[in-house]
Amino acid sequence: MLQVENTLFTIVMLLYFAAMILYFTYLAIKKDLLSKIAIGLQIAGLVLHTAALICRGIGAGRLPLTNQYEFATAFAWGLCLVSLIFILRFRFPVLGAFAAPVTFLVIGYAAMQSKDVHELMPALQSNWLGFHVSTAIIAYGAFGVSFVLSILFLLRDRAKEGSFFDQHIPNREKLDLISYRSVALGLLFLTFTIITGAIWAERAWGSYWSWDPKETWSLVTWIIYAIYLHLRIRRGWRGKTAAIFAIVGFVCVIFTYIGVNTFLPGVHSYK
Amino acid sequence: MEVVKKIWKFLSSMTFAILLLGLLVVACAVGSFVTQGQTYEWYAATYSETAAAWIVALHLDDAFHSWWFIAITAFLCANLLLCNVLRLGSLIRRTKAANDAASYLGTEPDASASGISDPEGVFHRLRMPKPKRVEANGKTILFSAKNRAGLWGAWVCHLGILLLILGFGLGQMTKKEFTVYGVPGQEKPIADTGLTLRIDDFRVALREDETVEQYTADITVFRMPQGSTSVPDQQSATISVNHPGRLLGMTFYQNATGWAAQVDVWKAEQPLQSEILCAGEYLTVRDLPELVVFFNAFYPDYALVPGEGPKTLSSSLKNPAYLYSVYYRGEMIGMNVLMAGEKLTIDDYTVTFSAPQNYTLIQIKRDSFTWLAFVGGIVTMLGLLLAFYLFPQAVWAEQADDGTWTVHDHCRKRGTLYRETFLQAASKNEKE
Ligand code: HEM
Repeated sequence: MLQVENTLFTIVMLLYFAAMILYFTYLAIKKDLLSKIAIGLQIAGLVLHTAALICRGIGAGRLPLTNQYEFATAFAWGLCLVSLIFILRFRFPVLGAFAAPVTFLVIGYAAMQSKDVHELMPALQSNWLGFHVSTAIIAYGAFGVSFVLSILFLLRDRAKEGSFFDQHIPNREKLDLISYRSVALGLLFLTFTIITGAIWAERAWGSYWSWDPKETWSLVTWIIYAIYLHLRIRRGWRGKTAAIFAIVGFVCVIFTYIGVNTFLPGVHSYK
Repeated sequence: MEVVKKIWKFLSSMTFAILLLGLLVVACAVGSFVTQGQTYEWYAATYSETAAAWIVALHLDDAFHSWWFIAITAFLCANLLLCNVLRLGSLIRRTKAANDAASYLGTEPDASASGISDPEGVFHRLRMPKPKRVEANGKTILFSAKNRAGLWGAWVCHLGILLLILGFGLGQMTKKEFTVYGVPGQEKPIADTGLTLRIDDFRVALREDETVEQYTADITVFRMPQGSTSVPDQQSATISVNHPGRLLGMTFYQNATGWAAQVDVWKAEQPLQSEILCAGEYLTVRDLPELVVFFNAFYPDYALVPGEGPKTLSSSLKNPAYLYSVYYRGEMIGMNVLMAGEKLTIDDYTVTFSAPQNYTLIQIKRDSFTWLAFVGGIVTMLGLLLAFYLFPQAVWAEQADDGTWTVHDHCRKRGTLYRETFLQAASKNEKE
């Protein structure tokens, strides 16, 4: 099973890469057909990626969401899923050209991690772990999409009137709303992640919140997006300022995910 | 008076909320980058004397319990409470108005379409409830509204956060936490609670590859009633990691493990004393209290690795070794490693270490407000769901003189994104 997963993983990387190149080509030569093929490849990639995750789950005999490699590949899966939903829902293939590189970077990061299957230490053997991590994947995916959308929002002004970008990228008002939708999805799931994490910590360590760096940084991320929501409501600060906060929010997500394990000690470093 | 009014207004404003949230971010960042809970000397050695002085003066060594952290949180609570209390009236009014057709007439709709012959079809395609005919401002209109609970999303979310902070804060102030460790058979008092914990058994389940699968302890907790001859009040449970037990009002967690050993002391070949010591504990020689034997560490599979010092190669008992140090009148007089069967001799006294076994460390807690924080979390989630996924919406249709209808839509928060859906629903009608 793990062998199958390995092969599938490689195919998925190739598919994501191909989709990314096609999205870029679509931007360059502006043929709608290309965007359709790119979306098709992304869907194929997502399906095989799902299969790969299932194979790993069967091979390891548990939820495949417990170490850095497994979380990284699942994070890429979440990004791919949420970006696909937004591309289709808002008929917005240009988003793909910006989201695909992020997805590819994350799966590339996964490829660099050790794929060894380790048995779980007792603290990690909990159903809450499953809820905790799977909601985190959706949250991170949604935040990744809002990050991309906010960058597009900031770049939108540069598009010349009547140009390809002008026609194929929704106007600022719509971009802001779509970005808001993705932040909303992300924040809802992040809240769920934090609550399930707290319940799990309570059962495993006897304390539902102990200011461990990973906890603290997920709270920071959560607050940054809460600030984003309030900035959107305030007239003077909506738009650009809010978009910047959505970008900062995703930087926090990445820091919570990679930086905390690397730079700060805590119970969350998967040793 | 003007000043007071202004301050009051600021305290309840969203600007202040944003400011406080920003401060909280900075506070959390500081608290995670500065290693918490160290001494002045540690900070001085790690950073610098000046940094250490600042860290101690500003309580950065215990940021999350410092006066300024608590102050920011308290202001945030006050701000949230004020904001929610002040907005309650208008929220109730808006909720009532949401189902009142008259309140929409004359307002700017988010989308409109005219020349419609079958308005009911539009309502249907927009998935609105069946419209009612209502009289408003002297006109008959078709009206339907839904999802007004969505108006309460932010309010409910804010309430949830308040409950969450309240539950957490009260818990921090009132909770009791203890740790007890020991080996099977030992009975230990739980601080000053009047309760005693007995460890009935402790097991470490290993997998084939020697990794740990689970730590399990059987425990009994009892309280001796006054006039101690009667039967004690007692409860037993089996606890393991991720499966705490609740006994006599407290929660018991299997938290950690370590090594313990039996330490025997002989004097002139006569047994003097026998105790079970956990690594990290010491023994005071009974008839010579100035003499103390400290059990520093235990290595189940001992090896002396050049350049690294003593270490253990695995967690199984292949080559047990005990690291000890001996103190006389507070001065260390020796430190060494004893292999199994070796003896330590100090003048007349002989000390041996034997029967290594795992001890269990049990965390004991009573927090009467965890439930409140949990309820706060659930309420927050509910608020977010309402705010983000329940869009209050009203659709109304007015008839023009030529008999066709104009349909208007008011959909909070979905703005232009919804306009297309609306226009599609309206235009289908015209194609038919
Ligand atoms: C941790 C703190 C806070 C969180 C997580 C939070 C969360 C939220 C959320 C989720 C919304 C809904 C946003 C939307 O629908 O797009 C909201 C709206 C709002 N918040 Fe907060 N909030 C917080 C603190 C505050 C504070 C302290 C105030 C006090 C002034 C405040 C004032 C408002 C207002 C006025 C709205 C708009 C309400 C509406 O649209 O009906 N918030 N907040």
